[in-house]
Amino acid sequence: MVRKTYSTIGRTTRRKDGVSKVTGREIFASDVVLPQMLHARVLRSPYPHARVVSIATAEAEAMGAVCLTPSDCPAWLYNERQVSIPEKTYRDRTVLPETARHVGEGIAAVAAKTEALAEQALGQLAVTYEPLPSVFDPWEAMAPEAPRLYKDIFLGDVVLPIERNIACFREMREGEVEQGFRESDVVVEQEFRTGRVYHHQMETKGVVCRPEPDGGISVWPTAQSIHNVRQLLGRIFNIPLSKINVHRIPIGGSFGSSIQMNTCIAICAALALKAGRPVRLVLTREEDLYDHCKYPSLIRLKFGVKKDGAIVAGEMTTVVDIGAHNIQAYPLLGCMAGWFVSLYRMPHMHFQGTAVYTNKAPACAMQGYGNPQVSFAVESLIDVIAERLNMDPIDVRLKNYVGLGETFWGQGPTVRSVIRSCGVEEMLQKGKDLIGWESRNRPEARSGRFRRGIGVGRSFHTSGTGAPMSGEVIDYSTALVKFNEDGSVDCLTPLMCHGGGTLEALTKIVSEETGVPLSKVEISPADTRSTGYDVCTHATRGVYCGGASARRAAQQARGILLQFASRILEVNPEALKIRPDEDLGQGVIYLEGAKGKSITVGEVAKTAQIKSWGTAIAVVSHRQVNCPPCFVTNFIEVEVDTETGRIRPVRAVAAVDAGTVINPDLAAGQLEGGLCRGIGLALLEDTDYDPRSGALTCGGNITDCKIFTALEMPLTEDVATFFAETEEPSGPFGAKGVGEAANNCTAGAVANAVANALGLRFTDAPMLPEKVLARWTDYLREKRGA
Amino acid sequence: MTQMEYAKPRSFKELDGIFESAKGPLRFIAGGTNVVPDLRAGTISPRLLVDLSGLKEMAYIREVKGEIAIGALSTISDILASRVICDKAPLLFQAARHLGSPLTRNRATIGGNLADASPAADTAPSLLAMGAMVHTRRRRGKERTIPLDRFFLGPNKTILAKDEIITRITFAKPKDPSRGRYLKLGLRNAMTISVASLAVSLEPEGSSFGGARIGLGAVAPTPVRAYLVEKKLASGAMDPKNIEACAQLITKEISPISDIRASADYRKRVVAVLFQRAIQAAVNGGTP
Repeated sequence: MVRKTYSTIGRTTRRKDGVSKVTGREIFASDVVLPQMLHARVLRSPYPHARVVSIATAEAEAMGAVCLTPSDCPAWLYNERQVSIPEKTYRDRTVLPETARHVGEGIAAVAAKTEALAEQALGQLAVTYEPLPSVFDPWEAMAPEAPRLYKDIFLGDVVLPIERNIACFREMREGEVEQGFRESDVVVEQEFRTGRVYHHQMETKGVVCRPEPDGGISVWPTAQSIHNVRQLLGRIFNIPLSKINVHRIPIGGSFGSSIQMNTCIAICAALALKAGRPVRLVLTREEDLYDHCKYPSLIRLKFGVKKDGAIVAGEMTTVVDIGAHNIQAYPLLGCMAGWFVSLYRMPHMHFQGTAVYTNKAPACAMQGYGNPQVSFAVESLIDVIAERLNMDPIDVRLKNYVGLGETFWGQGPTVRSVIRSCGVEEMLQKGKDLIGWESRNRPEARSGRFRRGIGVGRSFHTSGTGAPMSGEVIDYSTALVKFNEDGSVDCLTPLMCHGGGTLEALTKIVSEETGVPLSKVEISPADTRSTGYDVCTHATRGVYCGGASARRAAQQARGILLQFASRILEVNPEALKIRPDEDLGQGVIYLEGAKGKSITVGEVAKTAQIKSWGTAIAVVSHRQVNCPPCFVTNFIEVEVDTETGRIRPVRAVAAVDAGTVINPDLAAGQLEGGLCRGIGLALLEDTDYDPRSGALTCGGNITDCKIFTALEMPLTEDVATFFAETEEPSGPFGAKGVGEAANNCTAGAVANAVANALGLRFTDAPMLPEKVLARWTDYLREKRGA
Repeated sequence: MTQMEYAKPRSFKELDGIFESAKGPLRFIAGGTNVVPDLRAGTISPRLLVDLSGLKEMAYIREVKGEIAIGALSTISDILASRVICDKAPLLFQAARHLGSPLTRNRATIGGNLADASPAADTAPSLLAMGAMVHTRRRRGKERTIPLDRFFLGPNKTILAKDEIITRITFAKPKDPSRGRYLKLGLRNAMTISVASLAVSLEPEGSSFGGARIGLGAVAPTPVRAYLVEKKLASGAMDPKNIEACAQLITKEISPISDIRASADYRKRVVAVLFQRAIQAAVNGGTP
């Protein structure tokens, strides 16, 4: 297919926020300093489960500290995530709880003139706890005699009793799965696990809150959705939204950790309101590690296939250990079902998912939202099928993948749409050539200490959560675009950039649409009072959904500008076009073929102002009615040291079908970053708890909670990234997403490469050296015995 | 973090003065890469923090009459930048390269690395394998010299008295610097704490290993020498059979624990692997 050529879209350009970031001049939440500002610290439970009987604050207050205890806080139960519709939102927590349900849960807070003083005051709080029995294993938690974390919570506005610690359960069926298995020639079944990975975003969560004289509050938070922070604060503290202003401030990475309104924001807001002064609260790394993690997975997966490799039936059962709070387990289970059914066609399917409370730090969304976990299982089992049928793993994938024209519901059963762009085949074919698939040997052909193997994995993520009908999840965006009097353009959006270049992409989309050079298009500072609603920058929706609203606003503003120009040029506005002129630093409005009938955007905007015609400005609130998959494919070669069990990725090919790519270098960077975290999920990352104390075995320190760095990745020259040549009809200039997709297929590709290297398959990630060495030793022993 | 006093002596005389007036437990700090995390975690709570980084005369690296002396305040980066270490004691250079990150290496001192007495101290195996001596100074200038293999008493415990600081570390210049090899195994390639580390230093004599010295990290309560293995190596021929037998023996000579990073069994297995690779490299006088 021939790609359209664009003036700005798809060009590698210097990042607009690059200079401020590399020179350290960017202001993050923790850098905000306000007059009279106090510093807060949070007292955290040393017990995994304990009733807070009393908190004596007199001594801390005598030191001049403002103290916050549960009795100071509104009793209203909230859920920090505001993306689902209210009826599907599970509410189980308060600003400060009367019962701590995991080690590290905040139970009281102080604010003082300095952080050191706050720390001292914290030490003076005298807390009486009544320790309660705790439970850390989801299976034990479901036993009738297990300690209960909750008696009841709220689902929407309805009281929801919690039985056997089951936070929620979902089941979905299509066709007749038992019949499907009976009709299959081969049935394969295995159990898969992935770890309780910590997000490891560079910036720990933080916030500054300033109470306003009118009873309102201003907030500078680490957040992926300023509007959801505002709505939740308004509801918790009963403040009109018109008096709450949440500012967008750059975030030091997220990986999904700030989709929800971070709980420290509610604590800080309560402190600021009580103190009547601005308060700053920034979590330490230890606190952050106790604040959230990725949903771990335990998946039982079964496929029935015909001899020719066609999948007939699939069944997935999962138990998710969500920790102490139900942040978004219900949509997670819907998505896990969606990821499962949307990767490969299966006429008969059955999905069962159970989310279980335990006394651990709560799990929340993290890059892929269940998709890396599901794809790890599915992609592993697809290779098992290939092995059983003696087929090429790529052929099994090509035979079964859900592609062009087919319905898919990646984001769960209420988010259904038809696939209109698909680069699956192209990526498999090209990737195969790049990695040298044809030279891939069988494991029996290898010997010696170092064994190399090549594996493939594919997956996808959805671009947003839009659909023709509104479902259980909210999805729309608002953007404002205006032409300034010198011909430059402002774009105002509450969208967030997590580092991947989302806002950068929006400037390119607006530049392309308005014809104004990129150097003259800027993103305005945003806050909740001056922007329309956007649900959240999550779900790989920034460019596809947020970009689409910006493009529509740009289109409308452009229409107004051309009306003004038509008055000056005496030409019908429909006939006018705009092209960027880099030398002039202006968009130039012109009539094709007519010399003299041209004028710069700046002249038109200035004339419109002088003559009081008005400003070319437009605001658009827009919902995408599609949810196109951005497909990904990884080919990875690993080398296993059979003496130490260490697995080293040595070569990789990472490809994405992102439709039209807006920021090529940043999209390639996302692929590389996703590869790194995906390899980490497969080989290294996890958090574990000491069942006696309920504390993290790493103690909350990253000393023993590592992620891989560039040093563990293949050399730069051994990593190839490329983009499928597709265009998404519903996307802005044909664009889809990249973000989460980038890591979704990696763990599966690594597992398949290891299986190809050793002839031994690992189904429980992370594949730590010690585990690999032990299994390899057993495997050799069995082989010798046999 | 509880409140504490802070003192930064500029001379030994000032340091003696601090000793005279100190009330309650004191703690030395140099680069702070161990002490500050310990303070934050609350595992130590001294009344007085004595910052040794003002004792500038303790930052040097020099070679005098076949002996290499490293002032205790030399940072790991100083060691990596030193021509003397790079050319004449590459075994220490290799270990220093594996310590922490550039940020840590710029602050952490060699004296601190030893005084902290972590079983996984990165510089210890190499220094043990080179037969290093620790020179100390107590109140009023009382000095002593302690062989490194008698310096460590347990995890975070040393032979140092409460008023005793390390002034320098010395060792004889290795006869053949290329006959040394340090290997470290962690969960990643850098910025990682050892699962196991090992340094070998050989002084081959004809077809025998001669004076072989082996230092080990993270496989016992302290960094240790593998004396039995050294003896067996020296008594046998420089051949694969002897190396293999010694690899078997080394797993018996160590007493690793299971912790968050690895189990005792895994440590035993990989130490044997590291040993064979390091010996091979040292015999070859190059890479493994």
